Amino acid sequence: MTKLIRHSRSLFIVLSLSLGLVSQPSLANGEVGEHVNNLHAHLSQYTEEVSWLVNKFDAVVDSYQKAGKEANTDVMIEYWEEVNFHAAIETNYVPVYALIWQGIYGVKQAIDQGVPVAKVREEQLKLEQALFQALGAVKLAAQYQQQGLLAKVQTTETEMASGPQTLEEIKHQLDRVVAKYAEKLVDVATTMVHDTYLQRFEGVEGALIEQDAALVESLEKDFNVTLPKALQAQADVEEVRQIVQSMQAKLHEAKALLEKAEKNRQDVF
Amino acid sequence: MQRRTFIQSLAAVGALGFLPSGVSRALAQEAQALSVEQLPALEGNLTLYLGRGEGGLYENVLDAIRKRNPKLNLQIRRGATAALTNTIVAEAKAGVRRADLFWAVDSGAIGLITDEGLARELPTDLTAQLKTGFQYPRWTPVTGRIRTLPFNTEKLSKEQIPDSIMALADSKLSIGWAPAYAAFQSFVTAMRLLEGEKATADWLRGVSRHAKTYAGELGVVMGVERGEVDLGLANHYYTLRLKSGKPDARLDLAFTRNDAGCLVNASGVLALSEGDLPINFIRYLLTKEVQSYLSSEAYEIPMVSGLSPPEGLPLLSSLSPPKVDLRQLADLRPTLSLMRKVGVL
Repeated sequence: MTKLIRHSRSLFIVLSLSLGLVSQPSLANGEVGEHVNNLHAHLSQYTEEVSWLVNKFDAVVDSYQKAGKEANTDVMIEYWEEVNFHAAIETNYVPVYALIWQGIYGVKQAIDQGVPVAKVREEQLKLEQALFQALGAVKLAAQYQQQGLLAKVQTTETEMASGPQTLEEIKHQLDRVVAKYAEKLVDVATTMVHDTYLQRFEGVEGALIEQDAALVESLEKDFNVTLPKALQAQADVEEVRQIVQSMQAKLHEAKALLEKAEKNRQDVF
Repeated sequence: MQRRTFIQSLAAVGALGFLPSGVSRALAQEAQALSVEQLPALEGNLTLYLGRGEGGLYENVLDAIRKRNPKLNLQIRRGATAALTNTIVAEAKAGVRRADLFWAVDSGAIGLITDEGLARELPTDLTAQLKTGFQYPRWTPVTGRIRTLPFNTEKLSKEQIPDSIMALADSKLSIGWAPAYAAFQSFVTAMRLLEGEKATADWLRGVSRHAKTYAGELGVVMGVERGEVDLGLANHYYTLRLKSGKPDARLDLAFTRNDAGCLVNASGVLALSEGDLPINFIRYLLTKEVQSYLSSEAYEIPMVSGLSPPEGLPLLSSLSPPKVDLRQLADLRPTLSLMRKVGVL
């Protein structure tokens, strides 16, 4: 458990630094309550919810062990959507949020396919690890929030003013693509890729191509061929995550190029 | 000092009311770009609705205007141009007006607002600064972009490219296009207005037989450069930008003549509220400094008389864009249903 929290902490630090300690607009499945802007006051609630989820998921696997494929796995999704912890992790660390969805479907599909209980328990363990990793990330976010290092979570989408900001938003959107894909919403994920390309990347690629034409060419291919193809082919979530991580690395490089170009730009007046 | 120079400039272009209208009009037709030094300082509160622009360059312009006018309290609401257009119309129907100005990335959106009678009339000295053919009473283009035929220089020479867009349908050339792209749809709208539904449908069917589809027009230009297709259909700046990042790119631009293939479309601004402040703000966007900045940094075409196009693009006066009221390009619905009917969307 301690190891998991430590791991999530280092991930969160990496994330926070890369985002400039700015929370992103939230687009949770359910309603995003004001609690996400007061994480510290809700930590005990989140902790209880995680324990509750672990027990509930365990009960589903127990039921499978006793009754076989009769076990109702749809309730797993209902349990997850019921808790406030859902929005707390979604608004603070989408990559782990995606892992939770991946874990839920790992257990659900294993049961639905009737695989041996031992295999289901392996998937259950991964899901529990993701939940505790998420709890660690939320606890760390609560500390940052108390220190005033996190911007208030926006409950509506905000427009990015500069090229580098747009690229940061694109990286975040790609995390959400993985989350939606892990949630088995293939068409939603594919549409998000398409929209992110047309509504975000298109606006910055003109400036970017002046800096590095090969990089734009590579990202064009990722947005229009590699990622949508992987989604439509129902590739493994890990494979999709790797494609997204590779795109995020390129976007990170692109951001540095645009920031440098912006410094060298002439004045308007 | 600034106000005095400004009045002198207005007098020079015949904007003062006491000049006979004929003289005023004649002088106005010769108006050229003003320098920011000639404009009055901006003071007061303004709310601008800003359609998503070119990677933050419009923001740089706005920041510079703010910096130069410390007494201007400029609030900006950003969003997709179409969404902001709908917001302005909805707000007006609800009897509220939150925006004083709207700067849209395409002029089609402007048409929806002027048709609703929400835009106020602009002074003639202001509209007279615009190039001939781009002067409108209730909105003004800011910068333009022209439809082009980017071609692969290893596969084609300029002479092999028809100077009529309609001729492309029957040519043997392989063509890259992006039918889902807004600029392409505006171009098809212009073709529909100029050539009619049937000719446009035939053209779409003809070209689709030897076309390769890309998601966006930068993709089209890159596909042309890689030699995947002989030529493409795209706005001019993608080619100029790609050549800037890759000087040895196997790319050049060709233009058709007097048809939708060389349509000039524009970003545009309009004033929604009364008073001098919104109008004078628009004057800043038309200064030679802002126009030149957007030309050199975003490769957009200055729409004010007397200013040169971005490097690598011929003078607008040497091209022959078709005469289309750009506001009519807002009428996308028939275009989209036509494109769906012939199976290119």
